[in-house]
Amino acid sequence: MKHFIFASLIACAMALPAHATDYTIMAPAAPGGGWDQTARSLQTALQQEGVSKSVQVINVPGAGGTIGLAQFASQQKGKANALIVGGYVMVGAILTNKSPVSLKDVTPIARLTGENEALVVPASSPLKSVADLVAELKKNPGAVSWGGGSAGGVDHITAGLIAKAAGVDPTKINYIAFSGGGEALAAILGSQVTVGISGFGEFEAQIKAGTLRLLATSGDARIPGTDAPTLKEAGLDVSVQNWRMIAAAPGLTDAQKAAVTADIQKLATSKTWQETLKTKGWQDTYLSGPAFEAQLAKDISATEAILKDIGLVK
Amino acid sequence: MNQGPVKQAEERRPDWAALVIAAVLVALAVIIYMDASRLREMMGYSPVGPSTVPTFIAIVLVGLAIWTVFAAFRRDFPEREHQEIAPVAWIIGGLAAQMLLLETAGFSIATGVLFAATAAGFGKRKIWISLPIGIVLCLAVWLVFAGLLQLSLPAGPIERLFQ
Amino acid sequence: MSTFEFLMQGLLVAAQPMNLFYALIGVTLGTAVGVLPGIGPALTVALLLPVTYQLDPAGSLIMFAGIYYGGMYGGSTTSILLNTPGESASIVTALEGNKMARAGRGGPALATAAIGSFVAGLIATIGLAFIAPFIVKLALVFGPREYFALMVLAFVTVSSAFGDSTLRGLTALFIGLALSTIGIDQLTGQTRLAFGVPDLLDGIEVTTLAVAMFAIGETLFIAAQGNKGPDKVEAVKGSVWMSATDWARSWKPWLRGTLIGFPIGAMPAGGAEIGTFLSYATEKRLTKHPEEFGHGAIEGVAGPEAANNASAAGTLVPLLTLGLPTTATAAIMLAGFQQFGLQPGPLLFATNPQLVWGLIASLLIANFMLLVLNLPLIGLWVRLLTIPKPWLYAGILLFATLGTIGANPSVFELGMLLAFGVLGYIMRVFGYPIAPVVVGLILGPMAEQQLRRALAISQGDFSVLFTSPIAAVLLTIAALALIVPLILRARGRGEVLSQMAANED
Repeated sequence: MKHFIFASLIACAMALPAHATDYTIMAPAAPGGGWDQTARSLQTALQQEGVSKSVQVINVPGAGGTIGLAQFASQQKGKANALIVGGYVMVGAILTNKSPVSLKDVTPIARLTGENEALVVPASSPLKSVADLVAELKKNPGAVSWGGGSAGGVDHITAGLIAKAAGVDPTKINYIAFSGGGEALAAILGSQVTVGISGFGEFEAQIKAGTLRLLATSGDARIPGTDAPTLKEAGLDVSVQNWRMIAAAPGLTDAQKAAVTADIQKLATSKTWQETLKTKGWQDTYLSGPAFEAQLAKDISATEAILKDIGLVK
Repeated sequence: MNQGPVKQAEERRPDWAALVIAAVLVALAVIIYMDASRLREMMGYSPVGPSTVPTFIAIVLVGLAIWTVFAAFRRDFPEREHQEIAPVAWIIGGLAAQMLLLETAGFSIATGVLFAATAAGFGKRKIWISLPIGIVLCLAVWLVFAGLLQLSLPAGPIERLFQ
Repeated sequence: MSTFEFLMQGLLVAAQPMNLFYALIGVTLGTAVGVLPGIGPALTVALLLPVTYQLDPAGSLIMFAGIYYGGMYGGSTTSILLNTPGESASIVTALEGNKMARAGRGGPALATAAIGSFVAGLIATIGLAFIAPFIVKLALVFGPREYFALMVLAFVTVSSAFGDSTLRGLTALFIGLALSTIGIDQLTGQTRLAFGVPDLLDGIEVTTLAVAMFAIGETLFIAAQGNKGPDKVEAVKGSVWMSATDWARSWKPWLRGTLIGFPIGAMPAGGAEIGTFLSYATEKRLTKHPEEFGHGAIEGVAGPEAANNASAAGTLVPLLTLGLPTTATAAIMLAGFQQFGLQPGPLLFATNPQLVWGLIASLLIANFMLLVLNLPLIGLWVRLLTIPKPWLYAGILLFATLGTIGANPSVFELGMLLAFGVLGYIMRVFGYPIAPVVVGLILGPMAEQQLRRALAISQGDFSVLFTSPIAAVLLTIAALALIVPLILRARGRGEVLSQMAANED
């Protein structure tokens, strides 16, 4: 026990915040992932900007965020100080896992960040362009192995969309799901798979170092500093963005919802948050209110359609 | 209470407990097999699909169950020591109580109950002493880990006094 | 400036008194949280990272390194003393370490773990500094088929090391494998054996199973013995410190553990546990005291602990050279580095040498402070065991559940803790070994996924599994490890072997 007392004394001396919690943010993922980092960055920014005195982050990992989402929806009902981080991956996971709880069971507040998907090959690959890849896919879809994140996630969805746009049966793609970005990147660098698909940030350093070749990115505009075309420019009608959002508890009054939205708005425009976006390399895609809700509905129906095409959802 | 290892009565009789284990293994295998056969074999280029490994495990479990039956008849299992039931019941009860109380009563009370129940399992039956000790100790732990180190531990009526 | 000068400069900065103090605080805080069963280094670092923000860059980097090492080491202390492994990488430590503690040799066990961690950390950090680019090339050669071969090797070596009964050892292993199939199948997104329970979708947490089977199962088992045993353990027999024999028996396992752990940690899908398994099996094969394995052999603590720490440093290889976070801890470290303006990636060593060497120097200093903190505390730690049984076990359950609640505040998780605790108890009663269950849960999914990935990439051609040179070598070693003992046994040396494979209970 002495040990703990010692530790606590030091912690006291360092004046760690120990007062009442204002916001509690749930990161429905294990520490380290994108949602966790978003939640912890929000925590820092909310506190530093004085929007909230004390913010606590809770990790509830698992199943593309659906476990956390279910827990959040049932336990935080009506609590105006509870927030949850989520994103596009959750949309797919709700469908593939047949989750009983969906985004309708929480109160989406705003989209915060977004990231374009990047299509890459190892520098030694004979594939030089999207056209090469499409030709290869048409010849034998099984021979093109795609390395990316979990099955049914945004990487998988993008691969399916690319195949479909190229006129190849999306159920025939040979998608190899890896756990976490790191493992997928290693497999791509080691030429274990034909192409890699994941968020641009995962590959950025390798592309700059010249060990990976960027074939295309999935946004509506090119990523500054790269010379790769968008998928649309390359002739494939695909536009995907992996976004992250913040949502509040279900059952809030309009006034409560407005208060949370105002706080998040204050955060999103704050200097601390803008700096965080820069250091993390996240794109600012702040969108709230009815515009966000419309976008969300559109994304959900599009995702459902492509997951059916790939064969992951019946 | 100190009986030492209970000598098994006859050499010829099978080890009934081991037969129960074999039955449990078979049941486990059946559950795994039924669940695996429900899966869709889908969209893979790999001949080893999502149901292959569970099916394999189910088959091996059945094999192990058969082996266990033989072992039961040959009485290959080590002799079991006498087990006291009461202490085990105390501790399991304590864990169950903690689980049920955690959300409502908070960390200190729920875990304090576990603390006292475990102590009771080991012979300290004076609950009116061990329960307060446990609750105070858990509150100290809560203050350090939840208060200072920001670990998320459920708060109840006692913890709210300190928030 | 040359590599060496950068390192010296970094060390000079890190060795300033104020920075040493920050390292000590970091190590202390890291140990305090890391010591909770179920809370591994990842969550420890995530929780404590904000503390470092308040310092200047050099100071925060050093405190961060301290937290990391403290979190890593904290798990070993509870493994040895209380048989409650805090994270999957210290499960193996519990096997021999706790037996030593029970026999009054907790002091030497903790000392060999601390010094072994220090030695391994030192060598691996230096390795990180000088051979990282080479190691990372080796790691990238490993694809799914090579990993599959590595898993097969791990299975063979580990399963030969557990239990005196093949039947009970295999049964325990397959119970673990069965549990490992629960949850969403990573490759197809389909759920297996979850029966519609959302909490099961992500499978069974290794730490939950380990804490339940080791800590709770054991508490129940000991309680069920009634008043037979002595009221307390004799905490110290002989010296608290390591004897000359202990040193002689420890130093080779430290070095071998480092050699095994470092490259495996550097592999993107290696995992620290695998290194500890292989190290344990190696030490068991090479020891001159096979009769002690299962009853508290110091080699079985020294090797795996060194492997564990070396693989932690190994994780930094892909992180720094490729920007590849291969573990949850590494991912949080990446977030931490960004705070210090350090952007890991292939160009890092070239563009930002000062920070990299500053980090490496910080790791060395933090590693040293860990030793400074822990060696004097060993006397205090072992005294924990002199607490009378009722209070000791009540405390163990307090901290075991605290870790589980802290890692995932859910009633369901506590329910699993209880259920697996009872399972662990029943298995103990019937003489089943516990460790294979946990091993199966860890290795099962890795082996299955890598096999399926390899076969998907080859479009169903099984021959790829043997045609890569590395995979072929690994599989050959695995086959030899399986067959040689059989031949030896057939020659009538079975007696010795079955003793070597003594039950860990």
